[in-house]
Amino acid sequence: MTDTLQDGLHHVMNDGLHVHIERLGSARQALVSGLRLAVPPGEILTLMGPSGCGKSSVLASIAGTLASVSEGLQPLQLQGSVQLNGRELSHLPTHQRGVGLVFQDALLFPHMTVAENLLFAVPVGDAKGTRSTNAQRQARVQQALQEAELSGMGERDPSTLSGGQRARVALMRALLAEPQALLLDEPFSKLDAALRAQLRPWVFAHVRERRIPVVLVTHDEQDVADPQRVVHLRATEESPSHV
Amino acid sequence: MYAMTRSVQAQRSGHVGAKAADLLSVKVLGPLLLATLAGLPIGAALWAVGAQMLDAAAWQALWADPQIGRAWGMTLWTGLASTALAWLTVAHVLASGFIRQQLGRWLSRLPALLATPHAAMAIGLVLWLSPSGWALRLVSPGLTGFDAPPPWFTTQDPSGLGLILSLWLKEVPFLLWVAATQMQREDLRRRWQAEYALAQTLGRTPAQAFAQIIWPQLAPRLRWPLLAVLAYGLTVVDMALIIGPATPPTLAVLAWQWLSDADPLTQSQGVAAAGWLTGTVLVGGVLMVVALKAFAAMRKFASRGSLPQSQATDRVGLLQQKTLKWVLHFCRRLPLQPNVMWTTILTTYAAVWFALTVGSVSGVWPFPNVWPELWTLNAWQQVASSAHTVWTTLGLGVASASVCLLWSVAWLELAPRRWQQALQPWFLLPLVLPSVLWVVGLYSLALHTRLEGQWLGLSLAHAVMVLPYVLLALVPAYQAVDPRQAALVASLGHGGWVYLWRVKWPLLQRAIASAWAVGFAVSVAQYLPTLYVGAGRFATVTTEAVALAAGAQRSLMSAYAALQMLLPIAAFALAAWLGRPRRFEKIAPMKATL
Repeated sequence: MTDTLQDGLHHVMNDGLHVHIERLGSARQALVSGLRLAVPPGEILTLMGPSGCGKSSVLASIAGTLASVSEGLQPLQLQGSVQLNGRELSHLPTHQRGVGLVFQDALLFPHMTVAENLLFAVPVGDAKGTRSTNAQRQARVQQALQEAELSGMGERDPSTLSGGQRARVALMRALLAEPQALLLDEPFSKLDAALRAQLRPWVFAHVRERRIPVVLVTHDEQDVADPQRVVHLRATEESPSHV
Repeated sequence: MYAMTRSVQAQRSGHVGAKAADLLSVKVLGPLLLATLAGLPIGAALWAVGAQMLDAAAWQALWADPQIGRAWGMTLWTGLASTALAWLTVAHVLASGFIRQQLGRWLSRLPALLATPHAAMAIGLVLWLSPSGWALRLVSPGLTGFDAPPPWFTTQDPSGLGLILSLWLKEVPFLLWVAATQMQREDLRRRWQAEYALAQTLGRTPAQAFAQIIWPQLAPRLRWPLLAVLAYGLTVVDMALIIGPATPPTLAVLAWQWLSDADPLTQSQGVAAAGWLTGTVLVGGVLMVVALKAFAAMRKFASRGSLPQSQATDRVGLLQQKTLKWVLHFCRRLPLQPNVMWTTILTTYAAVWFALTVGSVSGVWPFPNVWPELWTLNAWQQVASSAHTVWTTLGLGVASASVCLLWSVAWLELAPRRWQQALQPWFLLPLVLPSVLWVVGLYSLALHTRLEGQWLGLSLAHAVMVLPYVLLALVPAYQAVDPRQAALVASLGHGGWVYLWRVKWPLLQRAIASAWAVGFAVSVAQYLPTLYVGAGRFATVTTEAVALAAGAQRSLMSAYAALQMLLPIAAFALAAWLGRPRRFEKIAPMKATL
């Protein structure tokens, strides 16, 4: 009885995303240091700060994509830990982390239709190893299209979609991969104000529904999802300014 | 709790150690192996030829040769003039095409021009320009009164004008193609369009905006290709054999003649000549880079010329400003609409193709007649009866292009950016050093490995010459890949292979296909390596066409030249088909009620 209770407590403590960044930066200088983030499932943490303070690099450390961020500059390295539901992620490659990513550009694959973009994300088998049939995967794509209010547009060329439509497809694609955590890297910054106001509640509702921890990076106060969970990053003094 | 953390950490570091060893093998050994594979033959060939050059007797024989001075002068004149002309033409075509937003449409015709080999171009021009050529036939005897071909040197003219013309015709499309690979990169295209528009809102005319904003960014990217053009112009052999001056020929032709001589001393004299030619190219390249930098500096100064006159007090500055004004004034005089240069080039190519086609089916064709008296397929039957020539050409092209493509893709995937940048000049060396130099080096390499006169050795020699072109064709496309795409695919739970096979390579399909076609075309056009490393045992359509150019079998020569052109065109067509963009379902018209 006590065992199960302790197990339960243990789970509660480990659930969600726990990031501890001792030092993140190049060999010469630290970009971020001494940062702790804890995001319980179903909650959205907003990470704010000026350009160049390392917001996106923090996301890249969680997703394990530092290599693509540091392209061209000095390679960035992380000292610290990233734990998701009790699992240490920092030594895993990105594709084994179960962390979804949405960028400010939708980055829909231009050589695939909208539906193929979504299908690309649907896992072939689930965690228990049962393989889903093609029809099941297609059904999930159709359902996602419906949720994105894009029914009947599955066969379209992604470049013919509007900015808002593309953003919705990008989010649905990330969610279809069944991530255990989701990172949103300035997902609204390329949209106009009206569209942002429309899209924000839609995005927040959809990610909360999944009961997964979410980190949102933005420099717009209006994007804050939950005023209780906001972390401000300050630019380090010698941090390189963005060009 | 503390102990647990430690054990986790220990586990992790052990894991990291194993991973690091794994990574070391793939991330370091892979690129190292690839760099060695491509770099070693280049280095070994240069070493071999360098060793042969340390022969005082050969250099003495070279200096003592009565033709050397004039041959070298002819080399400098044809090489420099054709390069300068090509550079100006390219600047002009790009400017007017960009300003009128028609560059994409114009450049869509490039593959056909690129696919026309140098030798075929020269032969086609000879068919037009020679004393018995079409140009004179069209106006004879009506305007000229000639009943027989006049004793003119209109093709192997002693002033090298024919060679300059044909080099110019071939190099402009090449430079345009390299420029196109840059300007059609999605990221650059967008940025440049925006900057170009911005410059106009700051009060610049379209021409000024192009000259001050786009060209200074584009020109440095064309420096290597321009160097290759200069090197090619200074060292070309097959084209110069066909349409270049004969008494004396250019230094490259002279070197080639000496190299193919039976006498060992004459041969080493040829090696020395190849060395001298290489020195010329290197000095020319350095001078060219200095000249371009100086010009860029001048332009930088002159672009501040919008300041009030009183501020440009510096006398030199004033002079430069005046020069630039004059250049701009002159450029304005050049008709932009329609683009005369580009139209001239396209028309000439069409005329050359037409001449080769008609020439290949011509029988008896007495002089002033505009059309042959007899049409015959004899030449093509002869080509068909020696089909092995075509198969050899195809085999060499497919093998060398495929090997180079595989290597280049592997290299660009595996090697870190810094390695790529550091080693790129080395891999591009075959493009800038004379082919007379390479054949000497590659031949002695083949001798050492007992591959001389063998198919494997010959295809590897082709691969050395093909590699820089394939690499140049692929690099811009690879640089344009958005690194976030890899991150995104991984975040969807897919491994690296899924990313490569389903996203990256499909998106690069067009670039990969055209790089292969470029490689194939370069292999087909190889003349010196085929003869020399193949030890004369392998005939390709190119060696046949060049050999026939010296004789009187017009129809057979034309047929081989036409074939030399058709094979690359077929490869480019195949590449265009493979790299065609995907067709999506047409958007259905909006329904009134939803």
